Amino acid sequence: MSPAGCPHVNGFKVDNWKQNLRVIYQCFVWTRKRKAKSCICHMCGAHLNRLHSCLSCVFFACFAKKHIHEHAKSKRHNLAIDLLYGGIYCFMCQDYIYDKDMEQIAKEEQRKAWKMQGMTPACCHSPCCVRVCVPGTGEKYSTWEPTKRELELLRHNPKRRRITSNCTIGLRGLINLGNTCFMNCIVQALTHTPLLRDFFLSDRHKCEMQSNSCLVCEMSQLFQEFYSGHRSPHIPFRLLHLVWTHARHLAGYEQQDAHEFLIAALDVLHRHCKDDNGKKANNPNHCNCIIDQIFTGGLQSDVTCQVCHGVSTTIDPFWDISLDLPGSSTPFWPLSPGGDGSALNGESHATGATTLTDCLRRFTRPEHLGSSAKIKCSGCHSYQESTKQLTMKKLPIVACFHVKRFEHSAKLRRKITTYVSFPLELDMTPFMASSKESRMNGQYQQAVDPFNNDNKYSLFAVVNHQGTLESGHYTTFIRQHKDQWFKCDDAIITKASIQDVLDSEGYLLFYHKQFLEYE
Amino acid sequence: MSNEGRMRATVNQKLTEMGERERLKELLRAKLTECGWKDQMKAHCKEVIKDKGLEHVTVEDLVAEITPIGRALVPDSVKKELFHRIKAFLAQHA
Repeated sequence: MSPAGCPHVNGFKVDNWKQNLRVIYQCFVWTRKRKAKSCICHMCGAHLNRLHSCLSCVFFACFAKKHIHEHAKSKRHNLAIDLLYGGIYCFMCQDYIYDKDMEQIAKEEQRKAWKMQGMTPACCHSPCCVRVCVPGTGEKYSTWEPTKRELELLRHNPKRRRITSNCTIGLRGLINLGNTCFMNCIVQALTHTPLLRDFFLSDRHKCEMQSNSCLVCEMSQLFQEFYSGHRSPHIPFRLLHLVWTHARHLAGYEQQDAHEFLIAALDVLHRHCKDDNGKKANNPNHCNCIIDQIFTGGLQSDVTCQVCHGVSTTIDPFWDISLDLPGSSTPFWPLSPGGDGSALNGESHATGATTLTDCLRRFTRPEHLGSSAKIKCSGCHSYQESTKQLTMKKLPIVACFHVKRFEHSAKLRRKITTYVSFPLELDMTPFMASSKESRMNGQYQQAVDPFNNDNKYSLFAVVNHQGTLESGHYTTFIRQHKDQWFKCDDAIITKASIQDVLDSEGYLLFYHKQFLEYE
Repeated sequence: MSNEGRMRATVNQKLTEMGERERLKELLRAKLTECGWKDQMKAHCKEVIKDKGLEHVTVEDLVAEITPIGRALVPDSVKKELFHRIKAFLAQHA
């Protein structure tokens, strides 16, 4: 269609045309029941060949079979409406036309119809958009259209970034401000967490903090810096200052633990985010901030009384899973090989190395609590011995595994350097509370359901620690695009191979859900 | 109208009345987006527009060019799934 528009609509826009058009949209386009019965071609009776309705009289006809064209020619009725999508066709221009007023009416009537039919948009975590409709109340999801202001901004800023498969946007080094590699490594992992990146790059944080000390705003700035395309390393002095302000225990120039920094950072971000939602900070378990949406999972703890077999269950939120290692003071019982988990996750026991799944199985094994730790059983009304078992009730979108390499027991402080083999793709199904329930019901051989993608994860960042407890250095491997990995060593970013990543010791492992669900 | 034509019409009417047609359409939309068909179609449309020129291309041009391509590119798995859904629906409501 030419940008000048269609001159023939003006003949239509007379008398009560707006109301008439509304009626047509209401009754024949954005409707279901009436369509089935009365919307058929007046010439051949079919109702699926791109049925159109004449705008000047009551006449329905096929488009595909040109029946409506014949009507238009013989009656000189130039305009028709597509009953499926609501587009207006002009037989003189021989194309669909886009008249602003008519489009407006079409949209309004469509919204009204959706409201009546009770369509609701799915709560979408990710901006990738598959439309889903759930009966409820409200409006159906509609595709994004830029507002006037956005068009203005786009026109004033004509420079565009194209993301190709080998572009390095998002990669940026971080200057070490004095033993701050513990902070740098976590920043690299966070800036490459896809959902977090999408949240910040789409400007979703509305700050309600009065002072300048909002960590979420600073994160937002950080993302802008990382995705700006600048290649020189960034100096995160403001971030460091904010961290010192909000997490006093991490202040100072000595080396800190990256894991502690991660938890402290998530905590501060979570607290500052809460101001976003206007929700009271009273209930930490029902926050809907981006940090909770991405990182919070539910850990189920079942305590079974050995006498009456009654089970008492609690579910606690978690941001990370801390896994014990063999070689630590706490005994690590190697489980029989070939159990579920390892085979599923393709890890090889060939070299005898401990795998991540071994650690997870140990984490979720039933643990006998012993006679010195009797629990009061509500069934027996007395103190009894019991077993305790941890399983995953709800998996977070990003699962962070912390390999407990730093031992701080009363006797000694040391680093455990045992290599732990971890996979690129992880299936958490064997460690779920639901899997445990089926095992308890006697279903030992769980058929692996290839269509159940809910528990599949992909590795996207690995934080490593080199050196000893007293003096060490943190680096991060992060994944860019599907299979490209980069090593971030403070200010230096180098390309890494998948093998480099998998051969590394592994201290903090970040996995991202492969398939996102819609609520 | 032939017998087949009449049967088609009846089936379609039933599907539409019970809202199943809408559900099947949504399912199809989701599947075609997931498998990348929608993006392929978009790319083809862009090519057609480039060929014909933005000022002169009409909706009919696009429809004529991409309909055969679109039909051919639908994955078999999607066709199978839709087919089974319709079959199941008819078995229930025939």
